[in-house]
Amino acid sequence: MIALDVLLDPALLQSIPRFLTPILLAALGGALCERAGVFNIGLEGFILTGAFCAVLGAFFFGSPVMGAISAMAGGVLMALIFAEFHLRRPGDPIVVSIAINLLAAGLTLYLLSAIFGVTGAFRDPGIQGFAMIHIPVVRDIPVIGQLFSGQSPLYYIALVVAVAMHFFFRFHRLGLRMRAAGENPQGLVVGGVDPRIVRLYALVACGMLCGLAGAQLSIANVTLFVDNMSAGRGWIAVVAVLLTRGNPLAVLGIALVFGFVDSLSFRVQGYGAPQQFTDMMPYLATLAVLIGLSFWRKTRQTRA
Amino acid sequence: MSGWIALSNITVRFGALTAVDAVSLDVDKGEIHAVVGENGAGKSTIMNVLFGLLVPDEGTIAIGGTPHAWKTPQDAIAHGIGMVHQHFMLQDSMTVLENVVLCAEPVNRLGIVDFATARAKLEDIIATYGIRSRLDARVADLSVSERQVVEILKVLYREAEVLILDEPTAVLTPQETRSLFEILANFKAAGKAIVIITHKLDEVMEVADTVSVMRGGRLVSSGPREATSKDEIARGIIGGDLPAPRARGPYAPGAPVLKVTDLVARGEGRPVGPVSLEVRKGEIVGVAAVAGNGQAELIETIVGLRRSAGGTVSLDGQDLAGKDVAARRALGLSYIPTDRQRVGLALEARVSENALIGREMESRFRRGLFQIGSQIDAFAREVIARYRIKVAGPRAKTSSMSGGNKQKLVVGRELSRETPLVIAENPTWGVDIGAIDFIHGELVRMRDAGHAILLVSTEIDEILALSDRIVVMFEGRITGSFAASDADRFEIGALMTSHGSGGIQTRDAS
Amino acid sequence: MMATDTGFAARLGPWVAVIAWLFAILLVLMIAVGASLDQAVSGFFNGAFGGRNSAYLMTTIGRSALIIGMALAVLISFRAGLYNIGGEGQLVVGGIVAALVGIYLPGPGPMVLAVGILAAMAAASLWAVLAGALQVYLGVPLLIGSLLLNYPARYISSYLVGHPFRDVAAGLPQTHMVPQGAWIPNFPGTRLDMGIILVLLAAVFTIVYAYRTVPGYRTRMNGLAPDFARASGLPVKRLVFQTLAMSGAIAGLVGAIAVFGVHYRFSDGMLVQPLYAWTGIIAVLMVGMVPWAVPLSGFFFAAVQTGAAGMERTAGIPKEIGLIMQAAIILFVASRLAVVNLAGSARGEGNDDRA
Repeated sequence: MIALDVLLDPALLQSIPRFLTPILLAALGGALCERAGVFNIGLEGFILTGAFCAVLGAFFFGSPVMGAISAMAGGVLMALIFAEFHLRRPGDPIVVSIAINLLAAGLTLYLLSAIFGVTGAFRDPGIQGFAMIHIPVVRDIPVIGQLFSGQSPLYYIALVVAVAMHFFFRFHRLGLRMRAAGENPQGLVVGGVDPRIVRLYALVACGMLCGLAGAQLSIANVTLFVDNMSAGRGWIAVVAVLLTRGNPLAVLGIALVFGFVDSLSFRVQGYGAPQQFTDMMPYLATLAVLIGLSFWRKTRQTRA
Repeated sequence: MSGWIALSNITVRFGALTAVDAVSLDVDKGEIHAVVGENGAGKSTIMNVLFGLLVPDEGTIAIGGTPHAWKTPQDAIAHGIGMVHQHFMLQDSMTVLENVVLCAEPVNRLGIVDFATARAKLEDIIATYGIRSRLDARVADLSVSERQVVEILKVLYREAEVLILDEPTAVLTPQETRSLFEILANFKAAGKAIVIITHKLDEVMEVADTVSVMRGGRLVSSGPREATSKDEIARGIIGGDLPAPRARGPYAPGAPVLKVTDLVARGEGRPVGPVSLEVRKGEIVGVAAVAGNGQAELIETIVGLRRSAGGTVSLDGQDLAGKDVAARRALGLSYIPTDRQRVGLALEARVSENALIGREMESRFRRGLFQIGSQIDAFAREVIARYRIKVAGPRAKTSSMSGGNKQKLVVGRELSRETPLVIAENPTWGVDIGAIDFIHGELVRMRDAGHAILLVSTEIDEILALSDRIVVMFEGRITGSFAASDADRFEIGALMTSHGSGGIQTRDAS
Repeated sequence: MMATDTGFAARLGPWVAVIAWLFAILLVLMIAVGASLDQAVSGFFNGAFGGRNSAYLMTTIGRSALIIGMALAVLISFRAGLYNIGGEGQLVVGGIVAALVGIYLPGPGPMVLAVGILAAMAAASLWAVLAGALQVYLGVPLLIGSLLLNYPARYISSYLVGHPFRDVAAGLPQTHMVPQGAWIPNFPGTRLDMGIILVLLAAVFTIVYAYRTVPGYRTRMNGLAPDFARASGLPVKRLVFQTLAMSGAIAGLVGAIAVFGVHYRFSDGMLVQPLYAWTGIIAVLMVGMVPWAVPLSGFFFAAVQTGAAGMERTAGIPKEIGLIMQAAIILFVASRLAVVNLAGSARGEGNDDRA
């Protein structure tokens, strides 16, 4: 079983969470927006801002926790801009998203040269990244050990958030209201609740989660910031949200698939495939999942 | 002497339009108060004011002598006012219980909803008023009348003393209407005040204690039911005499035009059908069904908008299998859809562009691939004049017209194609009496001229008024079929909500 | 909402506020880097419209040709309700095909140029149609499918110029130069290539198509109300492919102009980094998809970008201030106009129950 050998390769398993975490965090943020009826395809911009702010915080406060906190603040700032132009003013969410993505691209580069005087990339030993968490006992179990030990704290946070969000939508007042805001907002209006406020909460939480996704990229996977660091992960997260219609556990499943494909292509690169082809893999995998799911839905419908 | 609830001199303006003009209305505990009037008479608007959805430009609301000014529905709800809207405001993916507590959730300090407390309270209410409801069913799986019960439960759960129901019987069969009225009688006996907005005068005469008539944003009359008559109310609604009953030619059906045999349509979840029916030249066949019982899927499949999963459809003897919408239309089919806002018209386009659709390839409207604007405008003007559409001109935006005129544009565009088959789906949904009368007249004229007309409507009255033959659908199947002369409202109503007593009811004379 | 008795001043008010906001944002950004205001302003105008022999103005016009071209590609598809945001991939495909044809096709220069342009248009057209096929046959929403196809286009072209077709001697990942005979000539006495003429022709074509022809009418109806178009029997699937093919072809034309008129070769990232495709999208959104206004807004955004480069040269303000300005403009203006409702129609995935 050569295939199984490759799949259970410890180094491969060990690297899955680093690819999975940013997509999972961002897609969970996107899931909140989706369920609350905000068509947010600006996740890319939220993540990029988070990645930059994480480096900013980790550098100036010398602490990865402060990095994560400033990443969340950066994400929330973008979310508030989104809310101002989409919720308070009647801006189309796609237009606002596109503007947010451009704004993040411009602002991060502008501040990069304004604050650090560099263009394109900033790396410095002063950036304090997250240390990986090694869990005793667990780390010695094969497979489980690689998947659940020696990972960034943000990974564990992401897993907890995914499960918590599942219960949040079922049993929490705000969760119920978010679902209503997405499904039939008029039902909230006649109940005396302004759906825009509910959506604002969703956006702000989305900003925090995307900020953490960015932090995972810039102060956990590596400790540096480069131009366009999010590199399309926000779009993959958008796909994960659309595919799952914002169901957090399904988001977790999809993120696992994407994380696996990412780390697999990362490994394949080690065997000498051109880098461009491995770079392309996540997007082709995303398309393949989209197509596969639509086939699956089709056959299910025909049988009904 | 003013009532427990006193609305005085309420005025609501939308821009230049005065929707409600200095209306004063009193409602008392333990009475059923009917507010009647045409679409656009302002009855829903004034109730939205009472419920806090609209802030009036002038006037005051007082309850038990204390004046109030609502800013949001929350204020009104807090003072015991509840409203069941015409279009239900429910969340399909949630259970009945979740829907009821939404926006009034009992929560602990962390915001976790205490469903057990809510369930106990709700079961109490259900027992008190003799209501039937399944608390753990998803709303998506409920029938229309069961959904209405959920809306009523929501209001009761919030301990409302005043119930406003906006057109509550519009979507109900006669039997369901009767059981609704029984529930309302229980509320009345419990001392609650009930306001019903309606345009069905028979129901008003049956249940109302007080009747208020509105027209054009003003209150025409208000008083006890005993002091008025059905005719007087009707004259008040229209502001003049009733239109004369329509004359129609003798019923002389010709050859079959549309033949549907064992058709199965793909549905959301379960498929619809098999359904067989036939429409002949010179007859109107009315399909009566409560919304959501497969009639929409059936029509979409005949028109070619939805794939069939079995059976055949033929038009003038031609099998329609594998033909798309354009091919079916070319063979002689016109279609007036229910949803004029999205399916019947492009609201953001010009009137002329909407009038043209389907004819753009005709040689008089183009030179090669280039359109001839003057010809298109001239054609639009013809349609406007022929169907008495009130609009600034062919270049006006379609969204600038009233609902009735929009519908006349759809009807005019489709009927002027003079096709052998016309499919009309709820052709007078939400339009004013004048437009209803006009559209009904045009459909009958087409029938007299020998066209075959398939009419689908959720309004039994419309079916009874127009059809030569009546077919009843329930849960995707045909449950009955009558000649119009043999039809009975209650029997139709029964078939609209059940599979009938063993097999299909058929009393077809011909 | 009634604007019957509001005066001119009242209607101007919000726009004054918008402009004030934009200036405030710019000012904060400039203060952050300690730039002087008058240097910044003069740098901006010089960068956008000045230079020796108006060299910078020519750069602005040259860049606006590419942006307007991409905007036209967007316009054609958006007006049909097709949210093709994969213009970048189509542009890149057009550019790489143009470069390869230009370099490896033997023959007289003008013929190579003509074939190169047509091949670029055809290839980009196919790339756009591929996204359409994903939507029509496989249920992948166009908004997502077209965007995801950007990445393979980007990486495949990067591989091609990095490995098999690399100009090894040049050191950078780029192709050889196309022969001079196949270049798009400059306007006499300037450094502005005549590619803009092709773009303006495309603009005229787009405007006439949109307002005067039967397919333009059908496309417009489908864009305004897709359910209406279907129920009225318009050939919706064919409209999707026809429209995307045209949209992609224009993007391909832009790629060819960039190769034959500006860079004379294809180098990695040359069509991606300047965000031509995204700028094209916002140029369309800013004017609410009104065709005749698109060339103006395309020029405007080109000037913002070259002006920002001028600010960097003279006042030391990072040129990304241009991107920030663009984003801020689109936020304020588009949220005010609110004429576009993309999200509503973008969500609807192909319902498979429907024929």
